[in-house]
Amino acid sequence: MDFSFSKEHQMLRRMAREFAEREVLPIAKAIDEEHRVPMDVVKKAAELGLLGVPFPQKYGGMGAGEIGYCIVAEELGKVSSSFATIIGAHIGIGAMAIYLGGNEEQKKKYLTPLARGEKIAAFALTEAGAGSDAAAIKTRAVRDGNYFILNGTKQFITNGDIADIITVMAVTDPSLGPRGGITAFIVEREYPGVRIGKLEDKMGIRGSSTAEIILEDVRVPKENILGPFGAGFIVFMQSLDMGRLTLGAACLGGAQTALRMAMEWAAMREQFGEPIAHKQSIQWMIAELATEIEALRSLVYRTAWLVDTRQPFTRYAAMCKMYGSEVASKAVNIALQIYGAMGYSRDFVVELMYRDAKIAEIYEGTNEIQRIVIAENLFRDFGVRIRP
Amino acid sequence: MRVIVPIKQIRDPRGVKADPRRQQVTLEEAELVINPTDRNALEEALVLKDKLGAKVTVISIGGPEVEDSIREAWACGADEGILLSDELLAKADFRGAALALAKAIQKLGDFDLIIAGAMAADTCQGQLGPRLAAALDIPCVNDVYRILEVSGGKARVIRGWDEKFLEVEVELPAVLCIAPGANVPRLPHGARIMNSYQWEMPVWKASDLGLSEEDLRPGVEERGLSFPPERVRGRVSRGSPEDLARELVSFLRERHLI
Repeated sequence: MDFSFSKEHQMLRRMAREFAEREVLPIAKAIDEEHRVPMDVVKKAAELGLLGVPFPQKYGGMGAGEIGYCIVAEELGKVSSSFATIIGAHIGIGAMAIYLGGNEEQKKKYLTPLARGEKIAAFALTEAGAGSDAAAIKTRAVRDGNYFILNGTKQFITNGDIADIITVMAVTDPSLGPRGGITAFIVEREYPGVRIGKLEDKMGIRGSSTAEIILEDVRVPKENILGPFGAGFIVFMQSLDMGRLTLGAACLGGAQTALRMAMEWAAMREQFGEPIAHKQSIQWMIAELATEIEALRSLVYRTAWLVDTRQPFTRYAAMCKMYGSEVASKAVNIALQIYGAMGYSRDFVVELMYRDAKIAEIYEGTNEIQRIVIAENLFRDFGVRIRP
Repeated sequence: MRVIVPIKQIRDPRGVKADPRRQQVTLEEAELVINPTDRNALEEALVLKDKLGAKVTVISIGGPEVEDSIREAWACGADEGILLSDELLAKADFRGAALALAKAIQKLGDFDLIIAGAMAADTCQGQLGPRLAAALDIPCVNDVYRILEVSGGKARVIRGWDEKFLEVEVELPAVLCIAPGANVPRLPHGARIMNSYQWEMPVWKASDLGLSEEDLRPGVEERGLSFPPERVRGRVSRGSPEDLARELVSFLRERHLI
């Protein structure tokens, strides 16, 4: 058993950390305040290959695998949940759907510019009536010769307004239900009929954009069907599996920053004539949190190793997402509590981290859904089938 | 055009822990990184590669772990790297290391520029550049902030001079010692990082450089490390300028400083 990272991955971590500290950290507070996607910094990330971390080099990627991608997500998560979200939605679900479900031509045409960061991806599954119940989507795709005509409205789409290439799930045969009746399509932003609707005014991750995407009689060539016709459910479930793992990695980064800040403050802040770090109430919070962060680290990188060695990982990815987001939320809660009133002030970054953390318990499948996925996976071994 | 960049691997100063009470410095937990100013030097070399198509050769001396830093420099864009490493070289002091690097550079053949960091962040000696220039009998410009132009067998550079800047022209080949913070060094591209261990790195021993144990015998003996004495807290005085001046003078007189 060997817990060490490869030399390449160690070098990648140094690069990602320096990029995060040099380019992302200085703008983290401003992009939240200004509700602005830092496209200039996204471009700089692209120049270093950070928009194609897990994809093979023959498709313009970095070729660093899931372990490499988790390293990058962790380092970005340490400084900005917004930035980690932009990259996560682009690589982890948007481009990942094309990598997992696409044929060779689609990978050359679409994945390559995405991996190089020349174009930005989004993943469009959620609708007003289809959140956790993803199979309830209403967006329709109707065949018209060599084209499909797409109509519907996608909601809460991360990168929605900055994406050039959108992977869209649409119903192709309502009679077949989710398995067989949903197909994944690659939709270019430039296709006539693609419109960006409402931009969400969010509580956190305000440096990333979340938009409504409206599809009105959008003609999509049949070559843009992603994966087998009618297998959209499988394409998006596989993509979401990957996204969940790296979301856990980003949460690992965020939790570490919260822990470090909480400790720095506890060591510096004096009450009753001594640093509050001398108080057992503080020590216990820190000790428990540090333990959970270490457990999360092991879970995240073991799961990434399962992916890179092509072993089943679905339940572990769900655990990464669920546990990671809950550890991150706990971490920012503890940090804010230790900071006290100062943490509640917008002069400090703790309140931003507190607002940012909550979304990880909700997006990419709520934590309730993750528990169902985990339980379903576990009980399958006992011959019990669980459906939400 | 060939540019040689000697780099040094050091413990990341940010990870070094000092405990003055126990008179202890813990180095081992700090990450091994390329000396920050050497990254500035590499950046200047890579700019010449971008502009003039220069071939950039990175060279370093040390244990086998130094290979990682050379490969990181390659990932940043250097064309090749050479490691000088064996038991004899490991014992070398500043003079020995500079001698070995000079021999290696001679072994490489023709070159136009040696671009070095002005100082290593661990030892703060600033000896390498001038020593290389002396050993190779070529000019050396220290404290270089910017390379303006390299053409016609000459380089025009801006160097620090007192508290001003001075434009200098130097004949090639020459050594340029880059000032700390002269530029923002580029980060390595991810794909190059992933490929950085896929080429064979030449490792030269002292014997390959024609150096004997005698040549590399250290001239400096290290007898131990100690902390600077703890500083006494300063005294703040208040009063009229006349009173303050009187107090200051008597304070300095008491200590026989004036």
